[in-house]
Amino acid sequence: MSLPEFAVNAPGMRVILLGNEAIARGILEAGVIIGAGYPGTPSSEILTTLAEMQNYYPNLKVEWSINEKVAFEVAYGGSMSNARSVASMKHVGVNVASDAFMTAAYAGARGGMVLISADDPSCYSSQNEQDNRYFGLHALVPVFEPSNPQEAKDLMKYAFDFSEEFQTLVLFRTTTRLNHGRGDVLLGEIKKIDREYGFDWDRSRWVCLPSHSRVLRFRLLERLGEISEFANEFPYNSLKISDERVNGKRYGFVAAGIPYAQLIDALNFFNIEDKVSILKLGMVFPPPKRLIKELFNSVDKVLVVEELEPFIENILKQIAYEEGLAKEIEIHGKDFLPQNGEFPAELYLETLAALMDLEYDGVSVPHDLLIIPPRLPILCPGCSHRSSFYAIKQIEKKMKTKFVNSSDIGCYTLAVYKPLEGLDIEICMGASIGLANGISKIQSKENPVLAILGDSTFFHSGIPALINAVHNQNEILVMILDNRATCMTGFQDNPGTGIKITKEIGTRVIIEDLVQGCGVAKDNIWIVDSNNLPKMIQKLEEAVKAKGVRVFISRHNCSLLEMNEFRLKQIKPPTVKIDPEKCKGCLICVDKFGCPSIIFNEEKKKAHIEQESCRGCKVCIDVCIHDAIYEEEEE
Amino acid sequence: MEIRNFNLLIVGVGGQGVISAIQILTKAALLDNYKVRTAETHGMAQRGGSVATFLRFGNKIEGPLIARGNCQIILALEASEAVRYFNYAGSETFFFINNKIIIPPTVHSMDMEYPNIEMIQKFLHQVSTHIFFVNGHEEALKVGNLRTLNILMLGALLGSEKLPITQEAIERSMMLIIPNKYQKINEIALKKGIEKGKLIISEIK
Repeated sequence: MSLPEFAVNAPGMRVILLGNEAIARGILEAGVIIGAGYPGTPSSEILTTLAEMQNYYPNLKVEWSINEKVAFEVAYGGSMSNARSVASMKHVGVNVASDAFMTAAYAGARGGMVLISADDPSCYSSQNEQDNRYFGLHALVPVFEPSNPQEAKDLMKYAFDFSEEFQTLVLFRTTTRLNHGRGDVLLGEIKKIDREYGFDWDRSRWVCLPSHSRVLRFRLLERLGEISEFANEFPYNSLKISDERVNGKRYGFVAAGIPYAQLIDALNFFNIEDKVSILKLGMVFPPPKRLIKELFNSVDKVLVVEELEPFIENILKQIAYEEGLAKEIEIHGKDFLPQNGEFPAELYLETLAALMDLEYDGVSVPHDLLIIPPRLPILCPGCSHRSSFYAIKQIEKKMKTKFVNSSDIGCYTLAVYKPLEGLDIEICMGASIGLANGISKIQSKENPVLAILGDSTFFHSGIPALINAVHNQNEILVMILDNRATCMTGFQDNPGTGIKITKEIGTRVIIEDLVQGCGVAKDNIWIVDSNNLPKMIQKLEEAVKAKGVRVFISRHNCSLLEMNEFRLKQIKPPTVKIDPEKCKGCLICVDKFGCPSIIFNEEKKKAHIEQESCRGCKVCIDVCIHDAIYEEEEE
Repeated sequence: MEIRNFNLLIVGVGGQGVISAIQILTKAALLDNYKVRTAETHGMAQRGGSVATFLRFGNKIEGPLIARGNCQIILALEASEAVRYFNYAGSETFFFINNKIIIPPTVHSMDMEYPNIEMIQKFLHQVSTHIFFVNGHEEALKVGNLRTLNILMLGALLGSEKLPITQEAIERSMMLIIPNKYQKINEIALKKGIEKGKLIISEIK
């Protein structure tokens, strides 16, 4: 196999890299040893790329950790041992890691230590769009933000030198368009780091008890002061001053990340890039005060172009006040730009036009709009979650009840849409069981609570909440949808598969053993094949009626993985068809079950199965009440 | 070639090969010595959802996103998706559209109507005069695998001569990106697409 381009040791070679590959390349070039993370869009490819690199650079030690807190700790343990280390996660993952992060900030870095936070403005694949630049402000840790794949690689490589020089952690913040955008990247040299590795025995630094932490806190503030001073010379901050005016006024812009890149495009659209002053930040915290002052003294109006919160804007306003310039300089930001969502490219044009009185017509829209119904992401054909949620529906119908479905983060979240509408709650990783603990204390008999979560989510943070239920005797039923991978983020392995990120064999953790170990009685654990619908319904009813803390494991491999396995082993999946003679056009398979492979012909009033997409799970055979669906025998 | 910026949008349905198409074009643009940026839909939106990916190349580009009204080309692997993203087009935009509609399965349970190809045609002609339909679905099946649809449509784009990327660069990029065992069939699909593209353009000349 030839070396993938992101792994070649060829400085000066120009290649195309996905933002996340460029980040991984920067990590490789920096001579990093430890990489740990938990999958989460848009961050996941950073670690899988690093794991691929490990094949060619065996010094690397990459792992999927059980959750983001552990991932951070794995990396930080590396930093304590003098190894350059990185932890990678999506923005909400930093919430999980923050307990360790906030105090690690005090002790600082020994081997270079970078925490990557992949933020997601517009919530493309997330439950919120929190702005993690605040974590830097909160922990007094510098925040780096690149604006294109090349810079992502270079800035990441530099982050480790910086981290070691100032003995500080670095928060490396990106947004979806950086992570999931490709660009041309000039490769650099892969560093060989020659140093002694091993723990350093400094209790006053690593034992954060009150008497030590007070001293560490003092050092942390001192460190931030030094970094603030250096911010003015930070190689990825740049100030470009123009004396020219646009419509009589001198304008200045401050931006970082993707908004910086889009701002430059918009300025070029109006051919005014050379006529305005621009402060570009590669480090958004702490701010380069001297550069900001210089900008203030060179322009009449400043616009801060940043997505989400007015993070830089507030810093600028504070500096203007401190410098006594509050009356002299006009600082704009959220009065021109929204505080929610990613900025679409045309918004930059509209904003510049409004700010600077430029001519911009916008886009004309035809009179008669043609409305296209939404094409929502859905559970795949053959997805075992569909069967699980259908079984729950059947029990509800039979027992004349409606469960409070306290669910979680994963593919199964898609069951919220019609026709299954199988979720009532989704907050964050592992919350399904935690919330069920609380709901169970006040629930009525008519609406028992059902906690529903996936295998990886259970490992991630479901376990403590399950132990909590056992200890406090909170009567809940937990349904673990075990499809043997972390699918939504790209089929990453987890303890349940026992395969490591490098595809080497690790040690498998058996969910049912774990559940029993949490204190759930053996009789209160059910394990059923998700795609065996009659058995699912029968056993689930038993579980619903039983007392105490109960765990129902609905188990079937992800259908996409199953198809891959079939392809590898050259197994033909079962052929499932609908007999048009027997089909009554009752629509149960279409409007209640909702498999995308079952198509209803409006003219003939009959359903049929699209063979190209059907994966032969056969669940619909049990869904049909007219016996019209059958498996075609092989000839 | 000296180009300030060229903006291309590829849309389709998750699983149709939009991402691989953009990957091939991105690499080809690099081989033709352009500066390149893309923005892609990964993750949740790939589960049969609507997929839109931006490709920008040229000497004067920084960001990956395209402003509405500013696409030179919209390539749609599914016809209704061309309508969903129509406002990225201006009156001079060239549309290359696979004339197949994939109706989302949720439409039935939501009790909504899905537009047909005539409605789509009629609507898009209000947006631009350069609307071209390709029977990509049929042709890809004739080539022997529906999965070659994305390459076939790339071929049509290439044949139309509206894309400032060379055929050599695209062929080389395909060789680098497509797994060996699918090389041959995709080469055939590209050739078929190029024929289609040439035909379409000769008809308007």
